[in-house]
Amino acid sequence: MTTNTARNTAATAAGTGPAARSGGTSVLLQDLTRAFGATRALDGLSIEIAPGELVALLGPSGCGKTTALRIVAGFETADTGSVLVDGKDISSVPASRRDMGMVFQSYSLFPNMPALDNVAFGLRMRKIGASQRRKRAAELLDMVGLAPQARQYPHQLSGGQQQRVALARALAIEPRVLLLDEPLSALDAKVRLQLREQIRTLQQRLGTTTLFVTHDQEEALSMADRVGVMRQGKLEQIAAPDELYQNPATAFVAEFVGVMNRIPGELQGSGNVTALGSTVPVRGQAPDGATAVDVLVRPEGLAMEVRANGNGIVTTRTFLGSVTRVGVLLDGDIAVQVDKPSTEAAALAPGSSVSLSLPAEPVHVAPRQTADS
Amino acid sequence: MDQTVAAPGSLAGPGALGPSGSSPAAARASRVTLALRWLRRISGIVPFAVYVTLGLLLPMVAVAVGAFQDNSGNFTLSNVHAATHGVYLHGFWQSIILSVVTAVLPGIFGLLIAYAVFTAKRGTILRQANVTASGVFANFGGVPLAFLFVATLGASGLATRWLADIGFNPYDHGFNLYSLAGVIVVYFYFQVPLMVLVILPALEGLRPAWREAAENLGARSWDYWRFVGGPVLLPSFLGCVLLLFGSALSAYATAEALTSGTIPLTSIQIGSFLNGNVIAGQENVGKALGLGMVVIIAIAMIIYVALQRRAAKWLR
Amino acid sequence: MAAIARPREAGRQEAGPRRSYPVWRWVILIVAGVYFLVPLFAALRFAGIGAFGSVISETGFTSSLGLSVRLAIVTTVVTIVLMLPTAVYVHLRLPKLRRLLEGITILPIVIPPVVLIVGVLQIAPNFLKSTPYLLALEYVILAMPFAYRAIDAGLRALDLKTIVEASSSLGAGWISTLWRVVMPNLRTAVLSAVVLTVALVLGEFTMASLALFQTFPVWIVVNDQTSGQVSVAASLLALFVTWLFLLLITMIGTRQARRTGGGQVTLFVVARQQTRGD
Repeated sequence: MTTNTARNTAATAAGTGPAARSGGTSVLLQDLTRAFGATRALDGLSIEIAPGELVALLGPSGCGKTTALRIVAGFETADTGSVLVDGKDISSVPASRRDMGMVFQSYSLFPNMPALDNVAFGLRMRKIGASQRRKRAAELLDMVGLAPQARQYPHQLSGGQQQRVALARALAIEPRVLLLDEPLSALDAKVRLQLREQIRTLQQRLGTTTLFVTHDQEEALSMADRVGVMRQGKLEQIAAPDELYQNPATAFVAEFVGVMNRIPGELQGSGNVTALGSTVPVRGQAPDGATAVDVLVRPEGLAMEVRANGNGIVTTRTFLGSVTRVGVLLDGDIAVQVDKPSTEAAALAPGSSVSLSLPAEPVHVAPRQTADS
Repeated sequence: MDQTVAAPGSLAGPGALGPSGSSPAAARASRVTLALRWLRRISGIVPFAVYVTLGLLLPMVAVAVGAFQDNSGNFTLSNVHAATHGVYLHGFWQSIILSVVTAVLPGIFGLLIAYAVFTAKRGTILRQANVTASGVFANFGGVPLAFLFVATLGASGLATRWLADIGFNPYDHGFNLYSLAGVIVVYFYFQVPLMVLVILPALEGLRPAWREAAENLGARSWDYWRFVGGPVLLPSFLGCVLLLFGSALSAYATAEALTSGTIPLTSIQIGSFLNGNVIAGQENVGKALGLGMVVIIAIAMIIYVALQRRAAKWLR
Repeated sequence: MAAIARPREAGRQEAGPRRSYPVWRWVILIVAGVYFLVPLFAALRFAGIGAFGSVISETGFTSSLGLSVRLAIVTTVVTIVLMLPTAVYVHLRLPKLRRLLEGITILPIVIPPVVLIVGVLQIAPNFLKSTPYLLALEYVILAMPFAYRAIDAGLRALDLKTIVEASSSLGAGWISTLWRVVMPNLRTAVLSAVVLTVALVLGEFTMASLALFQTFPVWIVVNDQTSGQVSVAASLLALFVTWLFLLLITMIGTRQARRTGGGQVTLFVVARQQTRGD
């Protein structure tokens, strides 16, 4: 999982990174709510996107991220709240006049036109002359590496190629904002990775403000400047990827981003929690109600040592390269995963007895999950 | 889904051959085994094949052959000649005009209705009722339909009287239910629903993403239909119109029940041959007419299939 | 399905995100409604309620209706017995012939019944020509396209190969597999085929009248000479009963299909439909 910091630094140095371009467009979602019958798809969503920034909306299906995107695009209207682009309220502007480029999940290319005409379509709508728009379309197809496919029809192109054409088509009109609705979910893994890079590079090169919706956390974390984690219509946290990973604001974010272990513990009244034999402070808000909670801790956050009569037994070992993920079964039938450098993990044969403990750092807690939930 | 399954307890697949020998006798034996095996595989559809041959192909051959025979069974072109001249030619023209008119106009109207229904919220009672109603009306032709319209637009029909009350009696202006114009009006009753049924799959193939992408790029409704929706729908639309053409051309019952055979339409004329109203020496002209009709429809259907293939590529 | 964005509440002049054009849609539907419903209403008025009662007592009503029903039964049985095993067999063992089979089943649509009956009367042996069951046998040909398509649609939704293989790997014999695994899943499709066939036979006029048999539709026309009102009443009755029948079957079929995870039952597939993944 590559972080963006290195890339951003290089980009800023080259003068093409976020905020390096003046005249980019800012987008502000203000307090959007939208209900479909009894379900609240959006519940007071507010997000600010800086010029040239790529913000990813991440969350499970049904969390409202697509609804938010479609409201920005103009295909849905919010019940309350507004969308401001460069400070102006565009809520009453029809979708065809918002000057935003959108890439859909799949099969959005017009089947009766070859790739070139698809890309040139937006320019045609803007009454740009034939030769000029063909030229620009050709440039864009070249940018996404599909110049030889200009005369091919969508049904002759692979999924990945189609999405690249869709991207070129959205960018051809030089949109103020680029909107991407899970553009990679319908593609195979390998193509997905390639396209990820390509989208991000292109976006940074052009400095287009971008809103990207996905349910794949790896995608969001590797591509975005900031990631907004959503759940049931609300924004749980919006921050840079590394911030999200290391300092999740809520238990939901902690579990959604990256791998998280759940270890039963007991809340102490003093804002501490006891688990695995040690007591550590609780991070953020402890859940009300019962004192029986689950402690959330990352695989690399657990301390493990080989000891006879420890509190756990090694069950599996998964080699991941420089790190090995060790599966441990704790007393009480709790399965956890611990990451260790592969050189150390080599000595841990399945069946060996180990002892796990929490390091002396604040941890997130969540309501106890029973076996049936 | 294109692999053969060896049904349980049946022959093994093509991989397992008979005795693999290098001697000519063995080679012959394995060829025979293969042939027998092939026969056994084909045997499953023998009943069907026999039935279709007896019930469909043989009658058709009889018609085709009879078209070129005179009364004594000798080859002749006089039937074909008669079928393409005079009153029969007139019949063909009338039939074709009737079929074209009742293909294109109901085609357009059916498309509009289908679109109106389709853009309503899915799964509503409106939609389901519409599809069912279309199904029933499309198969509802012939006799009952003719009578319905007699009660409506006949000389003393209900609608005729209503219109007369408003001051516009269609019969005063030359309209007659029992004429070609009347037949056209009645044909709408089953042609329009037929169009609704056959164009719906094509409409469902219009992805919403296309509409939204077009809008996003600055297209308004008219632009979308002109550049994307229309072109994509066109092959299907033309194909469906052809289907309607074939349906109208082969229709017999409605026109017969309505006019008792007084309008020169090819299907009616063919029917009159069976009723015995023939000129001596021209008994087989009916068969020539039938052959002609089949040829016309076959051509229309070939074009239809080609158009549907083209449409399927795009509407995938 | 295009999302229908609700237009903004009153107060906003400019068109917000809009998709539907309610006015235009209702105009079309009203015009259509008028065209299709007025004749029904007119026929009702013309016939008068009294006519419905006397329909049953008219001479020839019982005999012609009885004949049509008998023909319907024979046709349906023969059609299903012929088409179902054939369709299953082709799907399983001769998939390359599927295209050919589809093509053959289009033929009856291309060959008008009026032409077909000419040929049939030419070659049919005399013993057949004297019984109305000749019609039943030919009706099978007419019903073929619809029956085959209904069964074919059911088979395609089924992934036949896999369940047959699964069944045989669990030890079921050929007959057992057909009876217990394949048939139950085709209930809806077979039902559709039956309904379509019955509707076709009950309404068929052309071949019956030209072959000089007095089925129900033929009787209606003949009877018109004596009593127009009764004929209209009989027509309405036929239409209404067919419609009710079809609606009932659709509802039952949809309910059943929903239970087994299928979709809505479409009885009326006339044109070729390309399903995804074909």
